[in-house]
Amino acid sequence: MRLHRIRVAELRQFRDPFELSDIEAGLSIFSGANEAGKSTLVRAIRAAFFERHRSTSVEDLRPYGNSAASPLVELDFELAGETYRLTKSFLQKKRCELIVGTRRLEGIEAEDCMAELLGFQFALKGASRAEHWGIPGLLWIEQGAAHVVHDVVKHAADHLRRALDESLGEVAASGGDEVVMQVRSLREELLTGTGKPRAAYLKAIEVASTLEQKVATLQQSVASYRSQVDTLETLREAHAVDDKEQPWVALRARQEDARQALKAVAALTSDRDREREKLRQVAGLRELLAQRLSTHEEQQQSLALREAALIEANSAHERAISAERPLGLNSSDATERLRVARATLALARQEHSRATSIQQLGDAESRVTELTSLLQRAVSESERGMALKREAAQLRVEPADLEALRQQSGRLNELRIRQSTVATRLSFDLLPDAPVDFDGVRVDGQGERLLITPTTLSIHGVGQLHIAPGGSDLDELAQEHAELQDQHTALLQRLGLAAMDDVAARALAHARGLAEASAAEKAVKVLAPKGLDVLRSELDGAQARQADATAALAQLPAPPTESALPFSDAERTHDNCRVAAEAASVELQAAQSALATATSQRDAARQEHDALKASLGDPRLQAELAAKRLELIEAVNREAAIKSTLADIEAGINKARPDILEQDVERLKRSADAAERDQHARDRQIAQLEAALVAVGAQGLEEELAQRQSEVAQAQRRLAELRRRTEALDFLLQKLELRRQALTRRLQAPLQKHLDRYLQLLFPSGSLQVEEDLVPGALTRPGLRGPEASGFDTLSFGAREQMGVISRLAYADLLKEAGRPTLIILDDVLVYSDPSRLSQMKRVLFDAAQRHQVLLFTCHPESWRDMGVPLRALQSVC
Amino acid sequence: MTKILHTADWQIGRSYGSFDPDDAVALAEARFAAVERLATLATGEGVDAVVVAGDVFDAQTVSARSIRRLFNALQSYTGPWVMISGNHDAALAESVWSHAARLGALPANVHLALAPKVIELPEQRIALLCAPLTQRHTYGDLTEWFDSAETPIGWLRVGIAHGAVQGLLPEDIDSANPIAPDRAQRARLDYLALGDWHGTKRIDDRTWYSGTPEPDRFRSNDSGNALLVQIDQPGGTPTARPMRTALHRWQQLTHGIDVASDLDALLDLLSKVEANDVLDLTVTGQIDLVDNARLEAALGVAEGRVRCLRIDLSALQLAPTAADIASLHADGYLGEVITELRDARDQDARRAQDALAILTGMLSERNARGTTT
Repeated sequence: MRLHRIRVAELRQFRDPFELSDIEAGLSIFSGANEAGKSTLVRAIRAAFFERHRSTSVEDLRPYGNSAASPLVELDFELAGETYRLTKSFLQKKRCELIVGTRRLEGIEAEDCMAELLGFQFALKGASRAEHWGIPGLLWIEQGAAHVVHDVVKHAADHLRRALDESLGEVAASGGDEVVMQVRSLREELLTGTGKPRAAYLKAIEVASTLEQKVATLQQSVASYRSQVDTLETLREAHAVDDKEQPWVALRARQEDARQALKAVAALTSDRDREREKLRQVAGLRELLAQRLSTHEEQQQSLALREAALIEANSAHERAISAERPLGLNSSDATERLRVARATLALARQEHSRATSIQQLGDAESRVTELTSLLQRAVSESERGMALKREAAQLRVEPADLEALRQQSGRLNELRIRQSTVATRLSFDLLPDAPVDFDGVRVDGQGERLLITPTTLSIHGVGQLHIAPGGSDLDELAQEHAELQDQHTALLQRLGLAAMDDVAARALAHARGLAEASAAEKAVKVLAPKGLDVLRSELDGAQARQADATAALAQLPAPPTESALPFSDAERTHDNCRVAAEAASVELQAAQSALATATSQRDAARQEHDALKASLGDPRLQAELAAKRLELIEAVNREAAIKSTLADIEAGINKARPDILEQDVERLKRSADAAERDQHARDRQIAQLEAALVAVGAQGLEEELAQRQSEVAQAQRRLAELRRRTEALDFLLQKLELRRQALTRRLQAPLQKHLDRYLQLLFPSGSLQVEEDLVPGALTRPGLRGPEASGFDTLSFGAREQMGVISRLAYADLLKEAGRPTLIILDDVLVYSDPSRLSQMKRVLFDAAQRHQVLLFTCHPESWRDMGVPLRALQSVC
Repeated sequence: MTKILHTADWQIGRSYGSFDPDDAVALAEARFAAVERLATLATGEGVDAVVVAGDVFDAQTVSARSIRRLFNALQSYTGPWVMISGNHDAALAESVWSHAARLGALPANVHLALAPKVIELPEQRIALLCAPLTQRHTYGDLTEWFDSAETPIGWLRVGIAHGAVQGLLPEDIDSANPIAPDRAQRARLDYLALGDWHGTKRIDDRTWYSGTPEPDRFRSNDSGNALLVQIDQPGGTPTARPMRTALHRWQQLTHGIDVASDLDALLDLLSKVEANDVLDLTVTGQIDLVDNARLEAALGVAEGRVRCLRIDLSALQLAPTAADIASLHADGYLGEVITELRDARDQDARRAQDALAILTGMLSERNARGTTT
């Protein structure tokens, strides 16, 4: 493809029409300052192809502020030998026209034709996006998008493949991808991603397995049913056999035989028992007789013994008598001695008690005396003390009273003093014949009178003088004094005191009285520490003792003439005698009782002896004995006879073995019972089994089993079918995918070739791996330690840019070989490449431009002067 | 002259699992219908008795419904039916017969021998010596006692037994129960009616297998008949005439396709199938796509016409020609894959065949839709 001319109008900054014409084949470099419109031109080319003329998403083409604008793009280009002119205007005036040689296409038809030719598609709705740009999207690198390869290739992949498919005709397959997809989806109907059964296949497996289980269960049931039928058969046979034979009958018959035999033996046994009884009786009789005779013998013997015993008893008796006599004497002696000792003792006791009593009396008397005097003194002291107390109490003066007296006295004194000071003092010295009366009271001699009240002095022969002491107070004083004096006097009287001075004396007396009273009390205490009453009672006690002693003494008889033994001696003697007497008495008693025993024994022996003798002499006895002897002989004989009979019977019984017979009876009985029981049990079992079988039989098991088996067969057939289908699909898919992959690899090969050729210009020994989706992958370069691989994404931005450009050039070469149009537009690329890399990239570009038309836009014209083509400057058109 | 209808091996209750469920039901139903046809035949021919020589039922635990249906099917012949138990329906302690008795399904005109005995039909003057099977497995000749059995003088003496005549038949017969080949002679029987072998077979003049009245397997052994036995008088030689009672025709065919004309022959055969056919067809050989389509079409048509059609095409190799591949527009690697599948051998052969069928099917469908690319 070769672009000849671009013309834009009313498009962004190109408000006026702008034209780029005579564009060279091969490389063209357009330089311009920023905002000169480089990218706008690229945008215009893109819009001319990618955007539908009716698109409403091309507002960005509008010149700023011009709402009535109708952006226009016109392109002249050559493609596959034909001349094309594409004219498109947007927005205000929507128009699209394509002139191909002589043909003219309009609108959508025109647009679709371009899409088909160049290998892209239109957006159904909204603005055109990267996924629609197809091959041009790959070859027309936008500013700053060189490093993005992966997605761009993906969007172009189908178009690439289609384009490349056609060129590699015989290897590709028409609709191959579609077939592969169909096979895959058919496979996915039956298998999951990991190859496990799903949906219908899984269901078929489950159904088959469920049915198989059901069949297994039914088969089990049928088998068990059959075995039950067989069991029933066996039971019935056994039952029939037993019904016929009735083994218990025979057993019972045998049992009866045994029982009869046993009965016979029993009879023998009873015979034996009878004989035994008889034997016992006879033996008993014999024994009795023998015993009787031997008894007689014994009695004879015992008579002799008796005689001997009698003699012995007699002599014993004699001995006892002789033993007893001296002991009797001994005892009476001892008794006598004891009596004497007792009397002596009594006397001694009497004298002893007399002495004691005398002493006691003496003690008691002295005690009484002592106590009496003590008591007297104590009582007197106590009385004195009490009297003193009473006196002292009487003498007591209440402290209050005392205080009152003192106060009164003091006040009286005061008053008197005041009176005296206020009073008129009249001192006189009278002649002996000149009496004077003071208020009728005669005075004479010398003296002094204090006049506190008006006083009348009568002087004989003179007349009367009334003296009224002066001072108003004097009356008051006098009054007060008089009152107080009365009170004082009354109080004194009450207290029994004559005057004030007596108070002290009284107090003193009181104190003294108290002191003496307390002294007296102390004395009492000394005399009677526990109190008078105790003393009194002690005295009473002592007096009583005295009385007792006196009485005791009085009771004693007169003292003996001879002196008594000391009490202790007498006591000792008495005790000894007592002991001796007791001992003697005991001995005597023993001897007496021995005597008594001997006597009675002798009597008894005599009696026995006499009796026995008498009885043995009886003539009747002799006769009886003789008879008994005869009887004994008879009995012995009979006994022997019975014994032999008995032996015979025993032999007979033993032969019959009754113990075994009993066992037989028991055994046979049990067997018969068991046999009958078994038969009944079998009856029941049969009934049960029959009922069970009826129930099961009603289920129609085998018919159901047959049906289920059909179902299983059916299910297994279906499963087998599905399995085959799955395997076939798997196999088919495998084969298809193998081939497709081979094809892809074949497509990859030329791409690899082209890429490597460009890459060698950058990295002499490097290689770029092409992935399955035709995307560049790892870059392998020689490193320090041999070839190093780096993933595409790990390269630097600049390197990625370079790889991006190289890849696109390789695609372009591939497309060119396939006869497809390749127009390469590079908008400001390789800006991140360092100078050395950049110069290498230039070689790459130059090489590519030999085969393709490359439009390079740049704002760094200085970098691109060595490309062998003139730079075309875009003047600023703003 | 006495006429007896001799039949056996009704196998009521059998399931035909190797067929589609629908077909299986129809085949099972056909067995009841066969019994009804026997009854009608018996009445039509005016026979004196119908003798059923064992295996009336296919199993012991047949459903009550099947039991009742079976005995109901005997309705249209009111004369005596004499039956013995075979090996499938042996008279065990508990059996389908005791079940039937409990259900009260046995009509009065059914004479059942569940133990060796003589059944006497005074009206018809026939004495039937019955040797029923009473155990699950029998190894002795149950007809031995026939030799010394007494029957009324002047009556017909007919034996009924179920088992394998010794020495004359192939080993693969159902029961082990042996029957002496000269039993009819030794026991002075006028006729010995046998069951167990499903095909109609003459042993000697007086000894026959009637076979099953309705075929139940593909073996070509002349089944589907009952025997109309005529005996003029006691001691006379009986004539046994096979009467066709079968509804369905069971056929098992194998057809090889190696050259084109083979296919034509097969297609011709398929076009001639009838409604009552039960057909088991195995096709072997090689076939290309075009012919395969023809074959499939013919099979589809035939399937719709017959009672049952079982097809086994596993041995038929799909071998697309170059023309086939071209016509499918299977270019590029699709075509290569087709060729590879066609040429696959050994353990991959079957999978490859199936895959090929799927792929060619998809491609022809695609072409039919008219899409390309």
